[in-house]
Amino acid sequence: MTKPSPTTDALRTPGIPRRRDQRQWAPYLFISPFFLLFTVFMVVPVGAGIYLSLTDWAGLGSPEYVGLANYSRLLRDASFGAALANTAFYTVFAMVVVLPLALLIALALDAKGLRLRDFFRLTYFMPVVLSPIVIALIFGLVFDGEYGLLNATLEALFGVGGVSWLTDPWWARVVVVVLVLWRWTGYLTIFFLAGLQNIPRELHEAAELDGAGVVRRFFAVTVPQLKPVTAFIAVTMLVNTAQIFEEPFLLTQGGPGEATLSVSMFVYRAGFQRQELGYAAAAGVVMFVIVFVLGRLGTRAFGVGRNR
Amino acid sequence: MDLNRRDLLRLLGVAGLGAAGGGILSGCSTATAVAPVRSGAASLGLWTHDPGYASYFTQAATDAAVVGGSAWTFGVDVTSVAPADIVSRLVTQAVAQRPLPDLAGLVIDQFPRVMRAGIAENLFVDLTALTAPLGDRLLKTQPYTVDGKVYALESDNSISVMFYRADLFDELGIPADVGTWEELLEIGAEVAADTGQAIGMVANGDNGSIVNGFTQLLLQRGGNLYDAEGNLAVLSDEAVEVLELMAEGVRTGAFVALADPYGGAAAAALKGSRLVATVMPNWYEVYGLQANAPDQEGLWRARTIPRFAGGGHVASTMGGTAFAVLKDQPLTDAATDFLHRSYLTEEGQLARYFAGAYMPTLVDLYDAPEFQEITDPYLGGQRVFEVFSAAAADMPLFYQSAGASVLRDSLGGPVLRAITGQVGAEEALRAGVRTYERQVQP
Repeated sequence: MTKPSPTTDALRTPGIPRRRDQRQWAPYLFISPFFLLFTVFMVVPVGAGIYLSLTDWAGLGSPEYVGLANYSRLLRDASFGAALANTAFYTVFAMVVVLPLALLIALALDAKGLRLRDFFRLTYFMPVVLSPIVIALIFGLVFDGEYGLLNATLEALFGVGGVSWLTDPWWARVVVVVLVLWRWTGYLTIFFLAGLQNIPRELHEAAELDGAGVVRRFFAVTVPQLKPVTAFIAVTMLVNTAQIFEEPFLLTQGGPGEATLSVSMFVYRAGFQRQELGYAAAAGVVMFVIVFVLGRLGTRAFGVGRNR
Repeated sequence: MDLNRRDLLRLLGVAGLGAAGGGILSGCSTATAVAPVRSGAASLGLWTHDPGYASYFTQAATDAAVVGGSAWTFGVDVTSVAPADIVSRLVTQAVAQRPLPDLAGLVIDQFPRVMRAGIAENLFVDLTALTAPLGDRLLKTQPYTVDGKVYALESDNSISVMFYRADLFDELGIPADVGTWEELLEIGAEVAADTGQAIGMVANGDNGSIVNGFTQLLLQRGGNLYDAEGNLAVLSDEAVEVLELMAEGVRTGAFVALADPYGGAAAAALKGSRLVATVMPNWYEVYGLQANAPDQEGLWRARTIPRFAGGGHVASTMGGTAFAVLKDQPLTDAATDFLHRSYLTEEGQLARYFAGAYMPTLVDLYDAPEFQEITDPYLGGQRVFEVFSAAAADMPLFYQSAGASVLRDSLGGPVLRAITGQVGAEEALRAGVRTYERQVQP
């Protein structure tokens, strides 16, 4: 029996573990940028926010640990209740009105032989690219109770006017949702339109041959085929509207009183107008939980990410 | 070393939490002491929202009448920052131990943010040693006082007077020297019934505008939101009276309700001559009247505000911006000297008025010949300091507290409901106070 050559062992033994080590580390090295950024910009802020929510802190000095006192205060805070109710109103409106309307507009834009299709697309998309500040100024002028364009028009056409659009609690909420409608419907329409254009014509033709009318084809072909797009839009809209800030902040600053205050505005107000950073963080954590749960429910309801 | 994905995530999580903890701990540490600059060149960092202040300080830094004889040669490096962001950024910069400005302009409704948790005390120089020798000569230190110490100096006295259209007062037969609000409101109701014109406005837009308008009249009546110790004082007979007057004015049409006293609706009311008079601070002449109705130059006049029959003052105040000096900076002494020279001397106040029409805060200056001789073309060449002098001599004091922004949000809705006649004045005030007390511990 021949003894193995020592030269061969000497060459192999140290080299194999080193290559194995390299192979073991390489994948982690490649994926580490994501996890590093995710940790720094997601895990740390969320962790810090949760910790902050358990403290009383005005921004300077040491945060004082107060346990769940901020959460307990939130439960008793009528303003937070009002903010939750308003946000729920905006969210329900967005899901029940904005979403279906966007789909209807997309269907209209997808109609055969429609002239000026690009012009309509541009028109519907325009509100998304306009500065929210400009939008708020224009809406302020349109809905002003004394000198607003809308009241003047109503007065001229129907002899009724003098509606306190922005200073009556109920009407102020309506104006905010009208702004949401005006601003986001066109944006969602673009997604629906893209989805509609991806539905094979053959499916509609086959359904038509089978005797399906327009309504039947809509529910039997369009709606099922649009499900992935609808799911994406619905969940995105749900999560975004639950965090609504710009529209009520710029238009009414949450007023009159707290009639249009949203949860995001509540967080901003506590943190940056009242220097109650611990309390703001607690409200932020509650908002995070609500949005997360809503997002998960939406994802589950619409079957996002579920295998076919 | 074997490392699986779970271990890596765990490691990163721990590292992240460590970094966060380190950041928080470092935020609590004290800054390293810096050597103060005792003389020579001093390029002062200034944060302000208003280009007018930037312009004034830049001029003042080289004006021998203002800074002559100082141990420092001043320069000003201006950073423009939105009012709310100034406080936020001061706090975050201080926590992160990043560079701070030497001077910061604090809008009056932002100051309550630094009244909490020793923020003013930790960030700003106590200026009481500069203001105390001036005693009652110096106006409007109260809103910027925390625990008896003054932390910022007001830039503009913001004296509220009544601006009125002299031509329309003549035409409508409204005497320009009506003695009391009650008389004026009666006349205003008749005018509104006859012509639809209004002798005043109330804000019905955002909470800030609503409560500011109410506070302006409340101060004039002799009431206040808080007392000198920072205790809530808004539930008072004076407040009820003021709110009832506002509601009565809106009901009769003597007062027009506008969402924004500076925006499009106010411009329309002014241009259309629907609004023939308004009680607003001195700066409204530039930002409200001249900006919205430049064509009405020469038609407007100013007078002191009619008193309430029950008492009070002939003037009030609303708004303002004060400047604070940041502590423990190399140029803290230089900035304090500069602020003293430009804000608390006669030369500085004169220069400030001519730079941006900022009203003096030294009360006796209103009678100085340099001011008394000033005429205002927009107000028909009126010697405005005859009016402002009388007003400054009867300025109400205005106190703030850390909970002021809570009070604004708590009162906004109820005050609006009272103004529009949906609830009584006292009921509205009680509702606002209840909301406030639920959020602010006494």
